[in-house]
Amino acid sequence: MRIGVFVCQCGTNIAGTVATDKVAEAALSMRDVLHAETLQYTCSDPGQRAIIDAVQKKGLTRVVIAACSPRMHETTFRRTIGQAGMNAYMMEMVNIREHCSWIHSDIDIATDKAIDLVQKGVARVRRQVPLYSTTVPVTRRVLVIGGGVAGIQAALDIADSGLPVTLVERGPTIGGNMARLDKTFPTLDCSSCILTPRMVEAKQHENIRLMVNAEIEQVRGYIGNFEVDVRKKATCVIEDKCTGCMICQEKCPGKAPDEFNAGVGQSKAISIPFPQAVPMVAALRKEYCRQFINGKCGVCKKVCPADAVDYEQVDEITTEMFGAVVVATGYELYDWREAYPDYGGGQYPDVVTSLQYERMLSASGPTAGHVQRPSDGAEPKQVVFVSCVGSRDESVGRPLCCSVGCMYIAKQAILTKEHIPDSQSYVFYIDIRATGKGYEEFTRRAQKEFGAIYLRGRVGKIYPSNGQLVVMGTDTLSGGPVEIEADLVVLATGFSAARGAGELARKLNISYDQYEFLSESHPKLRPVETTTGGIFLAGACQAPKDIPDSVAQASAAAAKVIGLLSRGEIETSPMVAAVDQLRCIGCFKCRDVCPYNAIEALELRDGRQVAKVIDTLCQGCGVCNVACPPSVVSLKGYTDNQLIAETMELLR
Amino acid sequence: MAELKLIGFLCNWCSYAGADMAGTARMKQPGELRIIRLPCTGRVNPLLILKAFQQGADGVLVSGCHPGDCHYNEGNYYARRRLELLSRMLPAFGIEPERFHFTWVSASEGARWADVVTQFTRKIEAMGKMSGAEQGTPPAKASCEAGVGAPDEQTGSEDAVPA
Amino acid sequence: MNDDSRKVSAAINAPAAAEPGRNAYSYFPGCSLTGSAGEYDASFRLTSEALGIRLDEISDWNCCGASPAPHHWSGNLGVLLPARNLHIAGDGHEAMVAPCAGCYNRLKNAQHELTGSEELREQAARVLEEPVRYEIEILNLVELFAREVSPEALAERVQGRLAGLNLATYYGCLLTRPAKIMNFDNHRNPVSMKPLLRATGAQSDHFPFKSECCGSYMGLAKKEIVLRASRRVIEVAAGLGFDAIVTACPLCHQNLDLRQGQINKAFGTSLDMPVLYYSQVLGLALGLGSDDLGIDAHAISARKLLAKIGKGAGGPAAATSLKPEANQSTPASIGTIPAAGS
Repeated sequence: MRIGVFVCQCGTNIAGTVATDKVAEAALSMRDVLHAETLQYTCSDPGQRAIIDAVQKKGLTRVVIAACSPRMHETTFRRTIGQAGMNAYMMEMVNIREHCSWIHSDIDIATDKAIDLVQKGVARVRRQVPLYSTTVPVTRRVLVIGGGVAGIQAALDIADSGLPVTLVERGPTIGGNMARLDKTFPTLDCSSCILTPRMVEAKQHENIRLMVNAEIEQVRGYIGNFEVDVRKKATCVIEDKCTGCMICQEKCPGKAPDEFNAGVGQSKAISIPFPQAVPMVAALRKEYCRQFINGKCGVCKKVCPADAVDYEQVDEITTEMFGAVVVATGYELYDWREAYPDYGGGQYPDVVTSLQYERMLSASGPTAGHVQRPSDGAEPKQVVFVSCVGSRDESVGRPLCCSVGCMYIAKQAILTKEHIPDSQSYVFYIDIRATGKGYEEFTRRAQKEFGAIYLRGRVGKIYPSNGQLVVMGTDTLSGGPVEIEADLVVLATGFSAARGAGELARKLNISYDQYEFLSESHPKLRPVETTTGGIFLAGACQAPKDIPDSVAQASAAAAKVIGLLSRGEIETSPMVAAVDQLRCIGCFKCRDVCPYNAIEALELRDGRQVAKVIDTLCQGCGVCNVACPPSVVSLKGYTDNQLIAETMELLR
Repeated sequence: MAELKLIGFLCNWCSYAGADMAGTARMKQPGELRIIRLPCTGRVNPLLILKAFQQGADGVLVSGCHPGDCHYNEGNYYARRRLELLSRMLPAFGIEPERFHFTWVSASEGARWADVVTQFTRKIEAMGKMSGAEQGTPPAKASCEAGVGAPDEQTGSEDAVPA
Repeated sequence: MNDDSRKVSAAINAPAAAEPGRNAYSYFPGCSLTGSAGEYDASFRLTSEALGIRLDEISDWNCCGASPAPHHWSGNLGVLLPARNLHIAGDGHEAMVAPCAGCYNRLKNAQHELTGSEELREQAARVLEEPVRYEIEILNLVELFAREVSPEALAERVQGRLAGLNLATYYGCLLTRPAKIMNFDNHRNPVSMKPLLRATGAQSDHFPFKSECCGSYMGLAKKEIVLRASRRVIEVAAGLGFDAIVTACPLCHQNLDLRQGQINKAFGTSLDMPVLYYSQVLGLALGLGSDDLGIDAHAISARKLLAKIGKGAGGPAAATSLKPEANQSTPASIGTIPAAGS
């Protein structure tokens, strides 16, 4: 056995705290190690070439690389030794950066630890055997979850490549939050004008199947072959028959909150969210419908000229196979009411959220673009914007930046002036974060051209007085308290993950953070991948972001999906369980514990029943390995012998 | 006092990634713990933990995905059941159950991981080394070999040395 | 003062009444309640009695430590003085009540500091010449009533006597901050007074200035600060149409009530906002006399407000107590309305 050890310095990332020379020297005295060297950047081209050279010149049969986390570069180095002519699995990575040099400052402690870890790696690789992956065919169909701008973009890009896409949207229309915006920063493009053509395109695309009022029920399977149950919720409207004439909505006597308009204005129990909705199909909300509450009404059914209303409709679950999934579930506004009693906690009608204000500004909104304050319908002259409500505020447990508030406040201040020329806007801000292209210039324009007065400080209190609202804040630049009598206060509320994001993440088996934003696989190098192969992220479901970033990420996710499915088949990990059938006693405890039904019974010629692992189903968790009474089920790459050897080596 | 020997068995998907994150964020931690990576805590054989104690580990930490978040759906539930039982059995082997700790750290909980390591190390520091370990006599005589066997010194296939 | 009114005695909270001693509290009045805030003390004792709560005044209590002198003289005196009070309050009681927000705040802080410092505990033991007992539960007046009186039972008993009033609840700072140590109510939006006030039949709308600063003891050093701060509180309450401000802090009361005239003089305003103690309001609701409750002792007259109570009283039973300050001769029994007679 001929083992080579390569110790990465990673510039000073490792060498700054770990004496890499000493580690390499110590490695040379370990059993079967006949080559050890330090490399400045092992992952670089010269670094990889050095490994290949050493393997070929010294006839190495196993390699230990002490460098960064295997989660970072294991695949890189497997490829490297593959190029050197070795089996890709005859390599062990030892993490002396994230788990060593970066968390210690004492060189002796870090070096000792690094040597221990290399020793562990050597012990482990000595017991490694060559492994060979197999391939499985993939389903060349893609699921996109969420029909906002990110989901639409991903769906269109993927569909354009020729792959069929199913776009699942929870609400009655695609378009997401962007459809609710009046204008977009920093160009003041009309949001609808740029979005609705894309919505229509998604609807008409021959490779896209749109499923609205639908949610993901359950997900099984793996990269290349996900089996997904989708629940199509009953809306009491037959989608194929509805022509979108809106007569039902007009005649419906049941009032309902207007969700599309963020609660500004009212809607009906049966309605189409907005005139540009896609698909243009009505949906009925049973909780507001007289037919369901009182048991009698039936107006919509009577007036529908297409006979599309069906009160008996029930939820339907369809099951489909997909090769890859793009999650684009977006965001919703942070519900500020509980956390901010100082701003009235929702009691003052003239304290509105930015999205409500957006609807008030929008020509397609409930006030047809005339800004009217909710309490009395008067046109506000003094408008105060409060930034960072539920963002950058540790006292309410929301330290994160919403990343778009500064920009949309500037936009809304500009639009306010355009709508009401004799109005005055005030903006309370902490910092102006305007990092995108043309963004800084835009916030300057709001101040210089549109006269918005920017005050640097937080707002402490809002209270009603003489039909107005008094906004008490500080101006930290002039160093004193400020009070403004406002007709309307707009809170720049931060982003929350979409309701149920965490639950969906659990169904998909992907990670999420404490705010239920979904986690990317690596913040720099794998920003659209998740930790689960075949599932990708797009848009604000990952973190608050603006439209250009969401669209860019959606296209990136689409590129990843197209790349994945272009091959038609994918390699499976060879690190799966295997049964020593000669010693198997046929108790099938392994089959009982397997989460994937990847173990079946096999009858040997002598009639004995033994366990057999179905390689393509096994995901390599190793639960069966532990359950096996005679220890004959073994997880390749993580065998009992390897783990015991590692443990014993560390305790020598 | 001789240096403490602490072993951590971490699942690849949550806790190992969480430990990576703690490293990326340069969260300083005590230096005694050595991490062994596994696909899942469901792969942790309780006998392996006994083996570690038998070989002189002063503390063993197992960390996986939070309940409900397991990459393999239910591996951590198996681990929870197995390790809970193990922890109750430890006194029978003369091992204080406090030396064994089973917890959950997700991939985004770097700070929590640093905290877990620090707390655990401090706790074992306060308890001191396993009695008898310094004299080289393993504290527990329980035979682990019955279940998992001694590690082979030589693996099945001898490598073909390229010419 | 009418002696009979003192006989009004009934536990509203039945289970507590059933167990004697359960609703007995060690009472720490502090200097304000024995001096400038005598009416707070009187109304608290009367109301408590009417609600079946027994108060046992700590004998030989001393300064709570909150006054600037001991507080600044030596850092430890601010802990050791309250430590002695905590020590002696525990005799036969599981909980103590300190109606003055300043006392309450200092006692809680001292308890917190004693819990965290063995050194302080040792110092206290040296002073006391025995190991200090400091674990007694410390309640403020709002907390005590919230615990001992159920809104439903109170509503049943008072039959909406205070209907027609809109009362602004004012908590100030000392009752709730620092939040982690006081551990009482939501410091950003305290609401503990509201359920009982509403049970009296009064309205108690959201008062946005409920935890704003009144100016505190800056009245001694820089009076303008107090005048400006308190003016705000009163003006906002007046602007929102409140009939009175309800407080549970003698210093807040002093700044809002006693200095209201100074405010009017300094700013040329004509504020006329009664400021009542929480215990006085509950006493009024229970039909106790306004002079017994010391309401007449305030600088700002509550006459208009008291007149409103007459009109607001609803229901046939309450109608008999049109003049709450009238001599009362019949003590109430459990669950009944104190009958008014004259």
